[in-house]
Amino acid sequence: MISIKNLHKHFGRLHVLKGIDVEIREQEVVVIIGPSGSGKSTLLRCINYLEEPSEGEIIVDGITLTGESSINKVRAEVGMVFQRFNLFPHMTVLANIMLAPQKVRKLNRNESEIIAHDLLKKVGLSDKANAYPEQLSGGQQQRVAIARALAMRPKIMLFDEPTSALDPEMINEVLDVMKNLAHEGMTMVVVTHEMGFAREVGDRVIFMDEGRIVEEGTPTEFFTNAREDRAKAFLSKIL
Amino acid sequence: MELDFGLIVRSLPLLLTGAVVTIQITVLSVGFGLFIGMFAGIARMAKFWLVRAAATVYVDFIRGTPLLVQIFIIYFALPLLLGKRIDPFLAAITACSINSGAYIAEIFRAGIQSIDKGQMEAGRSLGMSWIQTMCYVILPQAFKRIIPPLGNEFIAMLKDSSLVSVIGFEELTRRGQLIIARTYGSFEIWVTVAVIYLIMTLTISRLVDYLERRYKIDDKH
Repeated sequence: MISIKNLHKHFGRLHVLKGIDVEIREQEVVVIIGPSGSGKSTLLRCINYLEEPSEGEIIVDGITLTGESSINKVRAEVGMVFQRFNLFPHMTVLANIMLAPQKVRKLNRNESEIIAHDLLKKVGLSDKANAYPEQLSGGQQQRVAIARALAMRPKIMLFDEPTSALDPEMINEVLDVMKNLAHEGMTMVVVTHEMGFAREVGDRVIFMDEGRIVEEGTPTEFFTNAREDRAKAFLSKIL
Repeated sequence: MELDFGLIVRSLPLLLTGAVVTIQITVLSVGFGLFIGMFAGIARMAKFWLVRAAATVYVDFIRGTPLLVQIFIIYFALPLLLGKRIDPFLAAITACSINSGAYIAEIFRAGIQSIDKGQMEAGRSLGMSWIQTMCYVILPQAFKRIIPPLGNEFIAMLKDSSLVSVIGFEELTRRGQLIIARTYGSFEIWVTVAVIYLIMTLTISRLVDYLERRYKIDDKH
């Protein structure tokens, strides 16, 4: 589904990704963890080209990312959820969800509204359709953001620390929505610090440090029996 | 010195029609300027360097030279190139629109850049093109924020439009000059002209305050 070969990313003189190779299969849930500054978010953002790779190849759903047109094509198939939600503050919840299906998929108002209501039901926010983002709690906003991404019927969902900006009591409502998605067979790449989620839902854990993939394996392997010292050191700090 | 209030009263109809012309120039110039400025402002942030450079040259040239000189270029210099005279009204509107466009370009650029980067990323991540995201996500939010500086630009243009009097275009200032040439009532007329400008600018700034408040409330939703 996603194939990344020898991916490098420089920010000026900063070498953030130093040769990443990853294959992600259909319906797989991959959790990327690692200390801050390890390049996990950058890797995720390279997958839908929010960051332009300095070197290397990324193939998403059979499309090699090169020019502008292939980028928009890929982005329509890849949903992204941001740490800070990034809902459109001047639109209602419903309008937030309906915008891209109408403009990109060229669905009419009725079709996109049906999709939007469906998704709001799915994330448990049917009663908030006509609210504006700032009237919602962080957890609710993030669930709307997930619904907005799903409205494009993506084949892959990327999550960039989706719960890091949330108050603790709101984290679970977002994780629950993500768990449901995983159970439905969505291909997911999740950058997170929620180890419980990684353990319960992840098919594979990728541990990154200093721009490289240091270790990867099933959650059970990784959390009970990490091989690399850096991974062990990281786990000892957070578990 | 004795003030001739009768002169003020007698001149008022002429001055007020001049004020209407001033408002016309201002509205047209800022209107066209808004159009020019939106494109120039966006072009200043374009990916292609040639587009960016063209917009930068335009903005720098206009903001770095006096409006009076720009008016002269369009009214006196351009006809030499075209081989025919330009109507003063057309010259006035053209010069003021091009001038206003450069200032408004900077207002748009600042307004757009004040919108969180995550908004563009969110739009793009949904598969929308840059232009679609600009139109549906960024600009609607930016418009609200640029109302106050646009109001200032409108007021500045209203005052600066007095400069087109030099090419004989009969707006408020020129009307004042003409009346004084006939009546020598320099003091009465200039003070009256100033008061008329003041009433117009104060009215506009109150209007802008009102719009700003209304949209702030709107934002809260």
